[in-house]
Amino acid sequence: MDTATAFSKVLGIIKPFVKNTAVFGEANDSTRIIEDLGVNSARLVDIILAFEDEFGIEVDDESADKVRTLGDAVQMIVQKTATAQ
Amino acid sequence: MLSAGSRFWLRVQGLVSQIFVLLTYYSIAGWMRFRRYRILDRGRVRAEFAALVGDRRGPLLVCANHLTLIDSLIIQWALAPGWRLFVRPDWFFWNLPDKYNMSINLFVRLLGYFGKCVLVRRKGPPEEIRRALDQVAYLLGRGQSMLVFPEGGRSRIGRVDTENFMYGVGRMMQDTPRARVVCVFARGAGQRVYSNYPKAGEAFAVRMKPVTPTTTFKGMRADRDLATQIVHHLRDMEQEYFEHATLGR
Repeated sequence: MDTATAFSKVLGIIKPFVKNTAVFGEANDSTRIIEDLGVNSARLVDIILAFEDEFGIEVDDESADKVRTLGDAVQMIVQKTATAQ
Repeated sequence: MLSAGSRFWLRVQGLVSQIFVLLTYYSIAGWMRFRRYRILDRGRVRAEFAALVGDRRGPLLVCANHLTLIDSLIIQWALAPGWRLFVRPDWFFWNLPDKYNMSINLFVRLLGYFGKCVLVRRKGPPEEIRRALDQVAYLLGRGQSMLVFPEGGRSRIGRVDTENFMYGVGRMMQDTPRARVVCVFARGAGQRVYSNYPKAGEAFAVRMKPVTPTTTFKGMRADRDLATQIVHHLRDMEQEYFEHATLGR
């Protein structure tokens, strides 16, 4: 999966959890999911599980803990989908 | 995995807290009496908890609803007298409060230490939350009891919040599958929404129910499933409380 497609899908998954919609409109790789987008930290688990469902991947705790920014999420998804193929 | 140093300091804290348990307990109980707090039918509540836990030792996870900053004190006071905690250290619950709330002054910090608190930044980085969960797993593994609030904070809607809650309790259950789980619902009659402290003169109803959540999922999905079951049990207990309160009018 290419980075642009993954980024677009990540935005779609995260959107319902975003509180800071102004920042979401200008989101980029370095946008922090909790601090910048205002996503509740507990909901980060829901987002990770949604990634698993959407992309057919498995995310362990260690990988999940490293997801701080949208770029981190995209990078993880691209790597895991590549490994899965 | 918790470091040897962390394990050592937790054991020290447990020991120191136990030495001072009577002083800590009755000081807090005295303050609550000064505030004219009372537990409705306290004798029955304590007898019910004693019967429920029995002589069996071992890890116990007490999961409660959360509306005020002193819910853990109220629940501990409601469930057992101080002398019981002295002879049964496993009845003296460890707590997992927010580090911010427990750092406001030296007195509160000391209270947190003697009150067996493992501090965690609720909105802290994942590795810090993971470390707190490792501490909980270590303590439960040693047969200790833990009082947790599955919602992860005081409910902003004044009722058990089945929409916004944390999944940490699910991880605790997975980390220590042999831990028994008891849901406790406690609420002051005059409590409308969440607050720092209950109003003076408040009377608290306390109910409890042993539960055995199970899941077929693994990992984070299991965390979510187990935590959801616990929160739903608390919601059901709350519904029963309000139905009973309505019928009693």
